Amino acid sequence: MTALIFAACLILTVGSYLATRAIFLRFRHPLLNPVFLSTLVIIAVLQATGGTLADYQPAKELMTFLLGPATVALALPLYHNRAVLLSQALPVLAGVLTGSLATIAAVLVAGRLAGLSRGILVSLGPKSVTVPIAVEISRLAGGEPTLTAAFVVATGMIGSILGPLLLTAVRVKDPVARGLALGTVSHGQGTAVALLEGERAGAMGGVAMAIAAVFTALIAPYYLPLLLP
Amino acid sequence: MILNFLTIVWQSALLWLVYRLGGLLVGVLHLALPGNVAGMLLMFALLAAGVVKPAYIEVGGGFLLKHFAFFFIPISVGLMAFGPLMRQSGLTLLAILVASAAVGVLATGLCVQFLDRRGQR
Repeated sequence: MTALIFAACLILTVGSYLATRAIFLRFRHPLLNPVFLSTLVIIAVLQATGGTLADYQPAKELMTFLLGPATVALALPLYHNRAVLLSQALPVLAGVLTGSLATIAAVLVAGRLAGLSRGILVSLGPKSVTVPIAVEISRLAGGEPTLTAAFVVATGMIGSILGPLLLTAVRVKDPVARGLALGTVSHGQGTAVALLEGERAGAMGGVAMAIAAVFTALIAPYYLPLLLP
Repeated sequence: MILNFLTIVWQSALLWLVYRLGGLLVGVLHLALPGNVAGMLLMFALLAAGVVKPAYIEVGGGFLLKHFAFFFIPISVGLMAFGPLMRQSGLTLLAILVASAAVGVLATGLCVQFLDRRGQR
């Protein structure tokens, strides 16, 4: 039975991915984000069949096994675009740092206006950086790591859907700027969307994700208290 | 087809090795980095130094990057656990996350575009 559930979860996930990817590649609209659509399908199926996250867990572990090596593979587009990176080092660095500071300030100010508790605010602070770092920042600042992990994933999804729409609306067409913006705000998920836009945007997504993670970890102990109640 | 599959497996194994090395490096040097990002930087250094030729990892790496989005699906399914919190204050949290994502995306995107244009003049 367990093996059957395991196989069903694998088939469901891979099947949803292939189907939603085909839909996305046909229409190329950010709202048709494959991660978003597949997640909806899988959660709906789990709920309809009485399945739980515990049932899904073994399949998840197998499927995310290659995420580490895939992140390492981002070195490849980075290497191919090293000339761009060198010649535009200043805009790249300035852009990522500005975006990181801005998104943290925005989430904390908006959260305070909404009257959220301090614990939730602290957990929201590092939501734009990759999960392993965000969780650590949250823990050190007195937040709730599991909640932070959920906010990171939600931000990844939101930024990868909204980001391309917004960038197009304000006429940011340069793949360097688009990739950096997506990677700064939506870490790996943003980078995944940037990769769908092209190799150069994807490379910049990877760069932004790395810089934002390191920078946010370094400034969090000083920056978060400034903005917290 | 089979040869291509084997190349992907073999090259992914090499990427996995560097990923683990990255994790090891973070532990030994107490870096403020996750292992995967350290691995990415390490691989970049290896490519730049010419120790690893792009051809060693191009097929496997290209495959993994082509399907990079896939890995975030099982992770996102985990949001299911936060159903009760979402029902209680989901809309507020959603609005806050949307607003802050918008601010961040615009800040980075416009900043880079502005500095780029100035640089090109």
